[in-house]
Amino acid sequence: MTAFAWLIILPLAASPLVYLTGQWGIRRGHPGAARWAGLIALLAVWVPFIRAAGNFAADGAATLTAGTQTLALDGVSLLLAALALGLGTLVALYSAAYMAADDGQDKYYAMLVLLVGVMIGLGCATDLFNLWLWFEGMAISTYLLVAFYRTQPASLEAGVKYLVQSAVGSVFVLFGIALVLAQTGTLTLAEIAAQATLTPGYLAAGALFVIGFGVKVAAAPMHTWLPDAHAQAPSGISAMLSGVVIEAGLIALLRALSALAGLALPWGVLLMAFGALNMFVGNLMALRQQQVKRLLAFSSLSHIGYMLIGLGVAVYAGEAAGAEGGLFHMLTHGLMKGLAFLAAGALLWALHLARGDHGALTIDDLRGAARRYPLIALALSTAVLALGGLPPLAGFMSKWQIFQAGAAAHETALLLVVIFAGLNSVLSLAYYAPLVNAMYRREPSEAVLAGAPVPASMRLPLIILLLAVVIVGFWPGLLAGLTGPAGAALLAAFGGG
Amino acid sequence: MANGFLIALVIGLPWLGALIVWRTGDTRPERQHRLAAGFSLAAALAALLLLTAPGDSPALTLALGGLFGDFTFIPDGLGVLLAAIATVVGSLAVIFSMDYMRGEAALGRYYALVLFFIGAMAGLVLSGSLLAMFFFWEITALCSYALISFNNDDPKAVAGGIKALLITSLGGVGLLIGALVAYAYTGSYQIADLLAGTEAIPPDVLSLIAFGFLLAAAAKSAQFPFHSWLPGAMEAPTPISALIHAATMVNAGVYLLARFYPAFAEVPGWTTAVVAVGLISALMAAAMALVAQDLKRALAYSTISQLGYMVYAVGVGGVFASQFHLLSHAVFKALLFLGAGAVIHAVGTRDMRQMGGLGRRMPFVRNAFVIGALALAGIPVLNGFWSKELVLEAGLAGGPGWAFAGMLVGAGLTALYTFRMVWLVFYGEPRAALHAHDATPAMRFSLGALAIGALLTWLLAGPLGHLFEATLPHHELHVLSTGELVAEIIGAPGTWLALAVVAAGLALWWWRERFRWLAAMLEPLGRAAEQDFGFEWLNARIAGATIGSAEALRTTQTGLLSWNVAGIVGGLIVVLAVLLLAWGA
Amino acid sequence: MSASALHILVLGTLALIGVGLYGLLAVRNLIKVIVALQIMVKGALLALVMAGAAAGQPNLGQSLAATVIVADTVVAVVGLALAVQVRRHVGTLDVRALSSLKK
Repeated sequence: MTAFAWLIILPLAASPLVYLTGQWGIRRGHPGAARWAGLIALLAVWVPFIRAAGNFAADGAATLTAGTQTLALDGVSLLLAALALGLGTLVALYSAAYMAADDGQDKYYAMLVLLVGVMIGLGCATDLFNLWLWFEGMAISTYLLVAFYRTQPASLEAGVKYLVQSAVGSVFVLFGIALVLAQTGTLTLAEIAAQATLTPGYLAAGALFVIGFGVKVAAAPMHTWLPDAHAQAPSGISAMLSGVVIEAGLIALLRALSALAGLALPWGVLLMAFGALNMFVGNLMALRQQQVKRLLAFSSLSHIGYMLIGLGVAVYAGEAAGAEGGLFHMLTHGLMKGLAFLAAGALLWALHLARGDHGALTIDDLRGAARRYPLIALALSTAVLALGGLPPLAGFMSKWQIFQAGAAAHETALLLVVIFAGLNSVLSLAYYAPLVNAMYRREPSEAVLAGAPVPASMRLPLIILLLAVVIVGFWPGLLAGLTGPAGAALLAAFGGG
Repeated sequence: MANGFLIALVIGLPWLGALIVWRTGDTRPERQHRLAAGFSLAAALAALLLLTAPGDSPALTLALGGLFGDFTFIPDGLGVLLAAIATVVGSLAVIFSMDYMRGEAALGRYYALVLFFIGAMAGLVLSGSLLAMFFFWEITALCSYALISFNNDDPKAVAGGIKALLITSLGGVGLLIGALVAYAYTGSYQIADLLAGTEAIPPDVLSLIAFGFLLAAAAKSAQFPFHSWLPGAMEAPTPISALIHAATMVNAGVYLLARFYPAFAEVPGWTTAVVAVGLISALMAAAMALVAQDLKRALAYSTISQLGYMVYAVGVGGVFASQFHLLSHAVFKALLFLGAGAVIHAVGTRDMRQMGGLGRRMPFVRNAFVIGALALAGIPVLNGFWSKELVLEAGLAGGPGWAFAGMLVGAGLTALYTFRMVWLVFYGEPRAALHAHDATPAMRFSLGALAIGALLTWLLAGPLGHLFEATLPHHELHVLSTGELVAEIIGAPGTWLALAVVAAGLALWWWRERFRWLAAMLEPLGRAAEQDFGFEWLNARIAGATIGSAEALRTTQTGLLSWNVAGIVGGLIVVLAVLLLAWGA
Repeated sequence: MSASALHILVLGTLALIGVGLYGLLAVRNLIKVIVALQIMVKGALLALVMAGAAAGQPNLGQSLAATVIVADTVVAVVGLALAVQVRRHVGTLDVRALSSLKK
């Protein structure tokens, strides 16, 4: 079998094994067995990933056919796989201590490995229904993770809202698929693209895709589940949800829309409109937020906005830089938001969870955190300042590339979008900065005074992500190997470039 | 190339120092002090060496790859002069801090940020690429924010820091858009390509770039209408005020205008706008300095006012005059701030109403401060005199008469508020029982060096002019040797006019009892000045409106499942309707 | 497929969507909300079968529907499991009571 086949199969096959190992461990009095199995499984997936990436660099896109189904590894799939696997591995490492005291670690790690697997698969789908199936798999594997604290009412509430809203979105996608199937008789993306024309039927299908996948992307006004789910999930899962899952939804949306791109229709305008709306809604909602994880969740809303604008510019004006910028921001956002959620989670764990308290981490709790937890405070500060787009951090470079693409089209309307996005970045600093100021106060909060020490296995992922955020800020070309081919593949799918 | 290596040292040494001081840890403060001083002095040495090896082409190129182009660094006259100011004043501020910050907590963070700032400031002025320039531009804003709110327990410091960050970043959007649009039309981030390639850019686009840059410059240099962040920035430790908010970062706006003057001079209305911004800032801030009660805020208003002179100078075509005044101002204002720092450190208050008569108890600080004050007031033969006269001369030669008249009045006001400040702090009778002691050795070193600078830097006029002429191919400069310059200034009628106005300002303070009627007449203006001419009110309204809309929007997150599903259905209906309507049309 | 049969199926699909949406928007019991979701999915199944038939590939449409049934069952099971936990730990199945997370 090829490395590509292993890349798909390994995590899917490992997931039940992780669960069984965990069960075995529980019976034998080793409740932590699942964490080792999960970590080893994800580390093992790196082997086919690196080989598949090497093959891709040498020979270009690869395909895998089983029966009538075909999966293809192109630039976009590789980028998503890198993001999912990279963040997933760090989260597995981080969760070892974070989840150590919780029941159900067997399910947690099995679901985490499965989540990584289905996201890799989702990136490789070449067929509309297949895409839906992976997408649904991704949703199902996250439902239980969001509601992991199944005795906590807040966690259950978030899980219910997430499930119902996702399911509604997923039904809309199915209707869209039915409309496309009825008109074209095929589900293969490339074949649909050859037939789609400017008729209400295709337009309605496109609208259903935009809204259906848009629920998972958290495009406003379908975003309402996100702050609940991202804030209530265990912090490692928050990082996965914010850093990869909504982005995977975005890739699913783009794949589906690309099949309809033969239409002389500016899907790009729609993406940009949602992008602008998302930035604004996310920033304003975060502005007065006192709960740290909820604030970060709303910030994800605004960052999806930047990606939508970059990708919208690419689809609308055929700017390769926009596609690359949007995908680059997807990667940097994964790093930054992953870091932010893991750092905030470390503080949540140390100040609340380790003492059996499921309350929320508020900005007030952060007071004086820098003296007791210098590394974590630095990590969270760096993450939020990077999200605010300050150099020399990763977010500056990816935002710059998106803006550059917007300006490159020489169109006043696009320039106005860029100005709006720039102003939104400034607005976002108004809620990121107070977080930093609170942590660097001298006078500690009561929560900090009573806080537990944070173990090294939780600090290590923070250090790795912190370094990545700084290094990419100085050397944005480092990720060009991933974003370049991905941007080109995306643009090609939309008939451009 | 040798100067490429020097550039790497000028930027890299402070940054390396920042890392090392930070890693040293707050348990070893003595080592932190020494390391910070050592690295900043080494950077200053490298920058001074760089002055001897200028050039007009990239000496150092870092390829970022792909769409980010090359980060180039050019040691031209503008760049090396400002890099030298940043590192020399920076090292003096660090040395001053060795005493000023003794015993403070979180020294590692303090010195790391100061050193990070010094390197970034040098990078900003040496950058040959727009992206690199914006990159460093925003790093300086980040450092400024972090240092203003260094004492995070003080809500005023936090508010001041965030305000500075938001307002300068808001202006920064102008630079961002300008740089992006310039790239979109020239296909290059290199500043030299923009300066040489303005013909390729449509006039309205060039105008957008020019005004975007002006916006950024006004915000960074605390000019009208963005000036209100600088007084709030005075919550920073005083060496930071001296370094960032007087001698270096606030100059970046003036530097930006000077750097791009050749490209934008022909843009309709641009030079007039620059002159107007400079004039309004100079006069308005001078009026505010006149009524300020807080010593540091008075100095901050004075900084806004003096930066107004530099902006005005660029607007009337006096690029060299603006940079020459920038040098003078950096030296004498850093001196004044550090002197004020020594006073505040000794007496523990910033309120001038409680000071008075301090001169007898701290003669060294008084002497240094008076030298700086005389330079600020424009008294011969200090550096401020020469450079201000040069600015005014450029204004008379190349600018509108009304602006020149306004700037003359400003010179009188400057003299007036300067003497008021000196008097309130050092002379007269003590108004409160304050404990005071004279400056300590490290403080004396910095104050002494800057005082000597205030007496002598004007002698550099000739060499600097030639440096500019040799390395700035796009700027048209009128270059003279120091001797010729002195002769020209002494021979110019404008100089005598200005001196008369300065003398009038001095007289007004001296016989202030006799001019009570004038003060009474101007009282409404004074009250308006105390209220920051309504700008604080405006800022509060904008912030209030933003927060109000945020709170209003938050009510839409009801937490009700049916409402959330309605959002999805509503979204579908709107998108369907829009698409079908667009299809129908 | 005859035109009238197609009309009936389209109407049926729309009716299922309508009933499902009504349930999601108006019903307060969490179990009934999940039922409403299921009704919407049934509409989608009908649409898929119909689309396959309309495109001349009835087998494709039906196999899609069968796959959706499997996936959807998993969602329903997870949803009901959540409902059980909600009943146990929140004490009610009223979805309006599940609104502690807001703003």
